[in-house]
Amino acid sequence: MQRAAFSKGFIYLVLIIGSVCMLLPFAWMFITSIKSPGEVMMMPPVWIPEDFKWENYKEAWSMAPFARYTINSIIVTVLSTLGELVTTILAAYAFSRMHFYGRDILFSILLGTMMVPGEVLLIPNYVTLSNLGWIDQYQALIIPWLASIFSIFLLRQFFLGIPQELSYAAKIDGCNNFRFLWTIMVPLAKPALITIVLLKAIGSWNSFLWPLIVTQSKEMRTLPVGLTSFSTEAGINYELLMAASTMIILPMIILYFCLQRYIIEGVAKAGIKG
Amino acid sequence: MKKFVFSVLTVLLVFALAACGNDGDKDSESKVSASSDSSSEKIKTDISSPVEIDFWHAMSGNHEIALQKITDDFNSSQEDITVKLVNQGSYDDLNTKNMAAAKAGNLPALTQAYEDWMTNYIDHDLITDLTPYVTSDEVGLSKEEVDDIVQIFREANTWDGKYYGMPFNKSTQIMYYNVDYFEEAGLNAPTTWDELRDAAEKLTTEKDGRKIVGLGLENSTSSQINQWVLQAGGNYLDEDSGKFLMNSPEGKEALEFLNGMFKDGSARLAGEDGYMSEPFARGDAAIYFGSSAGIPYVAAPAKENGVNWAAAPLPKGKQAATAFAGTNVAIFSSATDDEKLAAWEFIKFLINADNTTYWAMETGYLPVRYSALEKKEWVTFTTDHPEYGVGEKQFDAGFYDPRLAGAYELKNAVAKVIDKVFLGELTEDEGLKSAEEAANKSLKK
Amino acid sequence: MIQKPTFTSTWKALLYLLPALVILLTFNIYPIIKSFIMSFYTDYDFFKDIVYEYGLDNFTYIFQDAEFWKSVVNTLVFVIGVVPLSIVISLGIAILLNTKIRFKGIFRSIYFLPFVTSVIAISMVWRWLYHTDYGLINYSLGLFGIEKIAWLTDPQWAMPAIIIMCIWKGLGYNIIIFLAGLQNIDQQLYLAAQIDGAKPWKRFMNITLPMLSPTMFFISIVSVINSFKVFDEVFALFDGKPGPAYSAQTIVYYIFEKFYNEWEFGIASAAAIILFVIIFLITLIQLRLGRSRIIY
Repeated sequence: MQRAAFSKGFIYLVLIIGSVCMLLPFAWMFITSIKSPGEVMMMPPVWIPEDFKWENYKEAWSMAPFARYTINSIIVTVLSTLGELVTTILAAYAFSRMHFYGRDILFSILLGTMMVPGEVLLIPNYVTLSNLGWIDQYQALIIPWLASIFSIFLLRQFFLGIPQELSYAAKIDGCNNFRFLWTIMVPLAKPALITIVLLKAIGSWNSFLWPLIVTQSKEMRTLPVGLTSFSTEAGINYELLMAASTMIILPMIILYFCLQRYIIEGVAKAGIKG
Repeated sequence: MKKFVFSVLTVLLVFALAACGNDGDKDSESKVSASSDSSSEKIKTDISSPVEIDFWHAMSGNHEIALQKITDDFNSSQEDITVKLVNQGSYDDLNTKNMAAAKAGNLPALTQAYEDWMTNYIDHDLITDLTPYVTSDEVGLSKEEVDDIVQIFREANTWDGKYYGMPFNKSTQIMYYNVDYFEEAGLNAPTTWDELRDAAEKLTTEKDGRKIVGLGLENSTSSQINQWVLQAGGNYLDEDSGKFLMNSPEGKEALEFLNGMFKDGSARLAGEDGYMSEPFARGDAAIYFGSSAGIPYVAAPAKENGVNWAAAPLPKGKQAATAFAGTNVAIFSSATDDEKLAAWEFIKFLINADNTTYWAMETGYLPVRYSALEKKEWVTFTTDHPEYGVGEKQFDAGFYDPRLAGAYELKNAVAKVIDKVFLGELTEDEGLKSAEEAANKSLKK
Repeated sequence: MIQKPTFTSTWKALLYLLPALVILLTFNIYPIIKSFIMSFYTDYDFFKDIVYEYGLDNFTYIFQDAEFWKSVVNTLVFVIGVVPLSIVISLGIAILLNTKIRFKGIFRSIYFLPFVTSVIAISMVWRWLYHTDYGLINYSLGLFGIEKIAWLTDPQWAMPAIIIMCIWKGLGYNIIIFLAGLQNIDQQLYLAAQIDGAKPWKRFMNITLPMLSPTMFFISIVSVINSFKVFDEVFALFDGKPGPAYSAQTIVYYIFEKFYNEWEFGIASAAAIILFVIIFLITLIQLRLGRSRIIY
């Protein structure tokens, strides 16, 4: 019995040390963000600042157009997530419930392209978008991301798991494909859809390389891209840089703790299946 | 140093002559000096209806406020032309934005541009030859006015004898130093390399647990290595033959001088601090080499931290040499004739003696006209704020970056190698050798 | 009731597929082909979109470019530094989390937290943690008498700095997948083993590891592929440069540099194609190895 208690204690110890390592960067970010410039450069480090300098947030916020960055990030995340949701539902339904010529070939081709790293697409897509005159516009940030093969695959698998008998019953009741999809399949597929939405939203909110390349003016930047240019302006004022980082990370953390059950389950499922 | 400027001039002249000999399909080149005859070149000289033009720039903070003021003055000074400022972020952003807009066909009328960008733009026929405007009887500049533009800036805007831009925000490297530290140590501001090394060594100390470095340099020192090579009496690149000349005893001397100070700790790069201006303004560096355009950025935090500082010309090695940087304004060829004329009118306004003086006083950039330097307000201003007057003292030692096709890649490729030397990855000799290889490789492309 | 495709059903299906297909064809499939073609552009005017010459020059250039090879080596060092360590640590934590302990959910959430936060923002935080003079990491090392390390300015420490941060960031994802895998293992097996008197270590080696092999296989493939594509972390940690003296330049950074900073579209496309081939080959090798080792 004693040995069991000992090993329990050991498990807790390891997990707690690990948790501290995971959380420390976040804590340190926040502590630094409310320090005075003098305290930032103090050694040994100051753990609790003398006064909490909340005005650092105001200063960081006004040093760069963070309001605009935030609006851009929200617009891009919301529109590309909604758009992807619609295209995914329609395509997954066709691939799982409709019979048409070339279905299996088409599906395998799409799956095959998932092997190709996104970086390969970067340059031709840039050329396409500049031919369309979309560089530095919302279209460039949103339209290429309105469909995802991975999501289609995920949802198709889920749809396949829904018993066929349902659709026969519905058809007998005179329900057409389209109504059947939206009134029966979609509500049933809620868990899979939540996963798709959350993974997409997180990915879109955090994405960096693409917005970096297709935007040039400050007005079009999203938060991550804006933050990198702010980091140059902030220079050695780490309290401001940390305040800006906190402003970006905090909403994500709050959202995460509200929705973590879905997010974690989603990753576990999508991961295993994908 | 004069020799260098002279040789550049000769090169340009040769180019101009060679171009003239070419079938003579366009003889505008010869008009740079002969401003009398401009009837053959057809440009619009009056604006028929109101025009609105965009000016894409990369100015921020104080600089942007000053530019806005000049632009507002221009817009209210006449009725037909409205100039709209569009901030495109950093210089790199501006360049990529220009390239993308060229592709999409929505370029503005006016942009700021570095000389090496302009070489590239000229290659792709993106910017307009301004010579017809400069020499026009109706809207041009008189010979005196042209000569009034600081020579080195004029040269930097001339390709094959043609003007492709006008100097706007020109800055130069100056030496900032901490007056208190120098007084405590009983030293004077260094004027030569030997004095610089001596001062840097003596001033490298530790105070209240804080490290103070003698000489603080920007991270971009490796891409400005030509300044040090020229100071050592050497040469970096021959624009004429396209030969990379840094792999020489002088080049080695420059690297050894810098590396010696890095190694013994009396000098350091900004490193994680990003820019050296703030550590200097905090008292963490006794001497700092930086852009004159950084004066406001040093002045404000230095005042806050109670740091006394002054500025002086860069110390010289075998000779004095100071890089002149900053951008020009250029007009895109895609603009309509009306827009081009409007843009030209704005350029003239932007760099007239009054505005260039105002601009310089607000920003730390240099006046681009000789007459501005003699204006009473400028003289009083620089007497009160001597740091703003340092730049003009260095006009004679001035040089600008090579503008050959591929010069930009060359500069970057060489800077990469020089960084390795600074970090101790390569010895000076190895560095010079691979810098030469890298340079030749980018010239060949 | 087996339905057969008809022309009507095909038309109908196409309507459903149309929105997704338009996007995927334009931005996923066409660019794959185009990228391949672009890698043979040796003389290209981007502004007029005219190709004057095709050839193999881009590939010859890359293969002779010492910087490209440096970036391949850096990427390999990164993959070898991140993947095995990350797998071992996350497997360990997943096993501990899978025991009968309290606050399991809280622990799990904490470990997963970095995964949902912006790479860029969190890299800024690490940049501050790694600061030579005022960073928390050097301060902590100092408590153990270890001298200051110039994590971000010494070329030798740039890769380790990236590796440590990426392990930290990616742990949560692996833990979640491992936990899912562990929960799928039939508890009867453990019971049977316990009855046979097998020690915990034996149980781990003989039951957990073999039963977990598909999960392990999946994680290693995903981690290797993702690690090969590392870019954001490098960009943010070193302030838009690939480390001091290009010491942390990775393959994707090389592509980015050639494409975005030097406007060498042909060379960048060729490098992207090479990246694809490398990833493809490594995945094939992993699949081969996996097939012979995995017990389903």
